[in-house]
Amino acid sequence: MKKSLLTLSVAVAAVMAAGTVSAADFPARPIQVVVPYSAGGSTDLSLRVFADTFEKNFEGKQMVIRNQPGGGGGIGTSAVAHGRPDGYTIGAAAQGPIAIKPHIGGTDYGVEDFNYVGLFARSLQLLVACKDAPFNDYDSFIEYAKANKPQVGNSGAGGANQISAEAFAEAAGIKIESIPFEGSSKARTACIGGHIHAMVASPAEAKAAADSGQMVPIFVMEDKRIDLFPDTPTAVEKGVDFTWSSWKGIVAPKTVQGETLEYLRAAVQKIATDPAFIKKMTDMGEFVTYEDAATFEARVKKDSEVSKKVLEDLGMLGMNK
Amino acid sequence: MDTLSYLAPLFHVDVLWTIAMGTLGGLVIGALPGLTATMGVALLIPLTFSMTPVMGLNMLIGIYIGGIYGGCVSSILLRTPGTPASAATVLDGYPLAQKGQAGKALGMATIASTIGGLIAAVVLATLAPQLASVALEFGAPEYFALALFGLTIIASLSGDILKGAISGLLGILISCVGADPISGVMRYTFGINGFASGFAFTPALIGLFALSEVFTQLERLTVKDDNIIAHVSGRWPTLQEMKESTSALIRGSIIGTFIGIVPGTGSGTASWISYNEARRTSKTPEKFGTGYIPGVAATESANNAVCAAALIPLLALGVPGDVVTAVLMGGLMIQGLAPGPMLFQTNPDVVVGIFGGTFIATIFMFIFGMALIPLFSKILKVPRRMLTISIVIFCFIGSFSINLNQVDLLTMVGFGVLGWGMQKYGFSQAALCIALILGPMMESNLRRGLLQTGDNVIEFVSGPITLLFIGLTILSLAWPFISQARLKSKRTANPTE
Repeated sequence: MKKSLLTLSVAVAAVMAAGTVSAADFPARPIQVVVPYSAGGSTDLSLRVFADTFEKNFEGKQMVIRNQPGGGGGIGTSAVAHGRPDGYTIGAAAQGPIAIKPHIGGTDYGVEDFNYVGLFARSLQLLVACKDAPFNDYDSFIEYAKANKPQVGNSGAGGANQISAEAFAEAAGIKIESIPFEGSSKARTACIGGHIHAMVASPAEAKAAADSGQMVPIFVMEDKRIDLFPDTPTAVEKGVDFTWSSWKGIVAPKTVQGETLEYLRAAVQKIATDPAFIKKMTDMGEFVTYEDAATFEARVKKDSEVSKKVLEDLGMLGMNK
Repeated sequence: MDTLSYLAPLFHVDVLWTIAMGTLGGLVIGALPGLTATMGVALLIPLTFSMTPVMGLNMLIGIYIGGIYGGCVSSILLRTPGTPASAATVLDGYPLAQKGQAGKALGMATIASTIGGLIAAVVLATLAPQLASVALEFGAPEYFALALFGLTIIASLSGDILKGAISGLLGILISCVGADPISGVMRYTFGINGFASGFAFTPALIGLFALSEVFTQLERLTVKDDNIIAHVSGRWPTLQEMKESTSALIRGSIIGTFIGIVPGTGSGTASWISYNEARRTSKTPEKFGTGYIPGVAATESANNAVCAAALIPLLALGVPGDVVTAVLMGGLMIQGLAPGPMLFQTNPDVVVGIFGGTFIATIFMFIFGMALIPLFSKILKVPRRMLTISIVIFCFIGSFSINLNQVDLLTMVGFGVLGWGMQKYGFSQAALCIALILGPMMESNLRRGLLQTGDNVIEFVSGPITLLFIGLTILSLAWPFISQARLKSKRTANPTE
């Protein structure tokens, strides 16, 4: 028994040694991370911090961000799905283009066409009531929604915000009117101005707005309450089986295999657990957490299933095929 | 004085140096077609990680202000808008350069940008919270009415009203390509995924104005020999020209400030509206478009006023006024600062620091702009044949570098051919450009507003701001007829005239 353990550990050490050898030659040039959005958004900024941390942790190695926006993230994500097998082209995994868009159509990839490398942050979400909304907590929101259709703003038709709001409505048995905007900052402007009733927001943006009375938090889309909003209930504790969060991770083309893939997976883990990275990301309002490839993949597939169901009910399934 | 103590850190050499470098960098980025102020700010955000908030944010604001200004350089010299904000500057700036007055056009653009920037900065520092709350009154119907009013510019900008209307409608039709803003359905993409978000705006502009000009030049080059513009004027406008431009400058600054405060409109819209207003109220409207200094003054004062004004809703409400300020908001959050009404209470040092930095960056912009004019103008000494080749290269590199999307190159060339044809047959490229900016804003807000009111048109148009803009739209369309009628009645009353 003891001997076999020893053999095992020797084997592990050997594998790890081999890993370091190949790690020494794998990124011989800069690794490109495709961000499927314009420079400056929250995904882009997170990945810039990510690349920065990578270069600090892996001396002499370089990681550069390549912004390839368009088509709601579909264009850049497609570039990753069809990237070369050498591992120098990897991508920022975003919920919209990977878990949702393939169901709507107009993409040349599906949720199966990626190697999941790792998840490094989740973007928690809240439903908030906007200025002059006819409700100010969970119960009054549900009460109002029984007789009326509350207007819930989102960051774009068929985007993650719309799916999460509609998925909640379905789980809670209410009806909402989704109002799409071009990007979340426009939805936010309309919310603060009182032109819509509610919207899905991140804890960071909701915190500042709630402190100054611009928005009122209704519920958190997690299974437990969160530190930033200790007084805000979750849907789960109100008896509705609904949780949702968006995520930030890394995907690679399906063709990237072997030690290169292992190197990338180890790199994501190292970065996601670096205290300096956690600090910077937390200041930006991100919730840093590490999930390995298998857990991450399972999460993506689950979100993809939920999205498919919601889109089917909305009549948007395969709309652009 | 608290305020003074908050301003003191701005005058450290390293802070001033950072702002100066940011402004200069922004100026160069803005002057290169295809590199926009947004990209400049976004790319340099990682540099600010290790800086203090006031230093880092003011560097970004410097890039922003320098970048929006820098766009005028290539607009004037090469007819290539460096950024979409400077597209309207092409109208008078380029003809001025062709007349040998490039120095003066650039000089006026610099002065106008500075005045616009300073006026908006004063408004920012004094009235930010009060004005920001007005901006929140803008819902879907208000944005729709503002866009509708903006579109009436087409009628007054294009000499031939029928051709102008055709160009404008073509622009609106073109802006329908891509995902429907409300339902997400793809329209007119013919299955090409690269067109999923419609035609990319900057490549379209580069094609429409720059590549089309190359085609026109090529036609000329085959007939005539090289024409180098031998004489380049000095950079200071005369006193007379300053006088003529005063009202355009002031009006442009105010329009820019107002448009900048309304979130999501942007400097492109402001400069077109300002140009139109300057022309409409001018005693000599026929001179606009032929290389007239006040034309440059109007557009450049407006687009730089937008810069400082767009910071108003960002700082006071946590609502970004345009794309660049949305990126700046990211920069603030990285520093652990949440923009919004609380920022004034929790971090007054940062707020005052940003106010001060806006002034300083504007002044650096003036100094660098004025100092670099002779260098910029040297471009015109390059023989036309060689210049044309480099413009073509720039058109391609600039269009590709924005989204790294090959489809954008097709867009650029397509719009180049379209622009050349329009120019040749007297259709207004400006009208098409305005429609491309305002069409999507009008459509999505009309649809969104009707969705919210349950297709109730009466409710949709009932807001006071909506009614005001619709009234202005009607007035602006009817004005030529009214003034003609007045002229006629005057003549009948006064037959001897």
